[in-house]
Amino acid sequence: MIHSGFKPGGVVDTNAKIKAVFIYNFTKYIEWPKAYKEGEFTIGVVGESPLYSELTKMTQTKKVANQPLQVKKFNTAEDLSKCHILYISRDKSAQLSSCIKALKNNSTLIVTEDNGLVDKGAGINFIIKDNRQKFELNKGNVERYKLKVSSNLEALAFSVK
Amino acid sequence: MKRGIYILSLILLISNLAMAQFIGKDGVSKALFYLQKSELDSAKKYIDEAALNEEENKLAKTWYYKGFVYKELYKNKEKDDKNSTYRLEAISALENLLQIDTVKEFTESASKMLNYLASTLYNDAARSLTPQHYEEAQSNYAKYKSTMLLTNPELNFDAQDVKFKLALASMLNQHAEQENKLDSINVHKIKSIYEDVLAIDADNGSSNYNIGILYYNEAASIINNMDYDMDLESLDKLQDVCVGLFHKSEPYMLKSYELKWNLKETLLGLVNIYHGLNDLEKEAFYKKELEALNDKND
Repeated sequence: MIHSGFKPGGVVDTNAKIKAVFIYNFTKYIEWPKAYKEGEFTIGVVGESPLYSELTKMTQTKKVANQPLQVKKFNTAEDLSKCHILYISRDKSAQLSSCIKALKNNSTLIVTEDNGLVDKGAGINFIIKDNRQKFELNKGNVERYKLKVSSNLEALAFSVK
Repeated sequence: MKRGIYILSLILLISNLAMAQFIGKDGVSKALFYLQKSELDSAKKYIDEAALNEEENKLAKTWYYKGFVYKELYKNKEKDDKNSTYRLEAISALENLLQIDTVKEFTESASKMLNYLASTLYNDAARSLTPQHYEEAQSNYAKYKSTMLLTNPELNFDAQDVKFKLALASMLNQHAEQENKLDSINVHKIKSIYEDVLAIDADNGSSNYNIGILYYNEAASIINNMDYDMDLESLDKLQDVCVGLFHKSEPYMLKSYELKWNLKETLLGLVNIYHGLNDLEKEAFYKKELEALNDKND
């Protein structure tokens, strides 16, 4: 009689999948200006993150209203082009201010994942509370980009500034 | 005429002699007569009668020969039947014998027969470790143990139990994975077998690792199957469930790590668990150790 072990069935990056669900939900609670409601709905990712491939997977099945989804990867703030949501991975957090400058005249929701970034210009910042992913919302930072935030999103945020 | 009478007398004499051998004889003797002629069905008929007879069923030899006849029936007719009733009847008869054979006239020989029958039960249990017949395997393994205990009540089966249960759990898991049926019912079933092993041997690396992975995979599967459309309140609830599962997985995987069992896979498991728990510090710690191990092996 023999026995063998088996391996983790982790074909998915669990954290990235949860973040992707959050991000898709953000598109339901935030309204972009009219000019952004046509063409493709673009989510940009700055830096290397498993979220990029998770979001890419999401584009195969989901749309935002009638807009097809697309995901773009950027290495630096200088590379940025128009996007509806820009996610800055933890290892690129230092580029937040450059990204803010680059997106000055755009309507982009900036999403980060490092402590204190919601006070430094990010609209939404992912945080960890009791091993769970939550998000902080800075309404002023979101509205600065001519975006409207639903009060429901405020209710779902861990903290609102 | 005289010749005719002579022949008739001779015929009557022969048939009387044939019948005479049974006159006044007990069921056991009749059974033995047929046993010697390898007529097992007739032997069975008379030994069954003897076992029901109030006088004969008090005798050790009745139960010894009943065990013997049924053992032979099993060997000749039901050797490939994993649920052979002849085998069980033989064991039952020999168990009765051991209880009444106070002078130990048949005990040694009966013990040999019991050990033989037990070994066939064990082999059948091993052969039945398949997704379709594993319950038969469990039943035969239990009968194997109870049969062995008849002749040696002090026997300890811990090591064999561990081996059997690990083989069973591994087989069930592989099958469920192949069939894509690793649902909560199967997971619970497999987990409980590993828990049985840990009740025998808390330091069993394989069981600790596999329980850890089962909890981890349960959480990963929930997350994997999440719809991106899921509302945030539901997401929060599912995060609670998954964090609970990751926490359940953690002590088992840490124990596997402590035991250095399947270290590479265990480290990978810990990296994944702490990733799921959003514990970046611990994730980085075990990732570093995993990388060091990989470098060492390269």
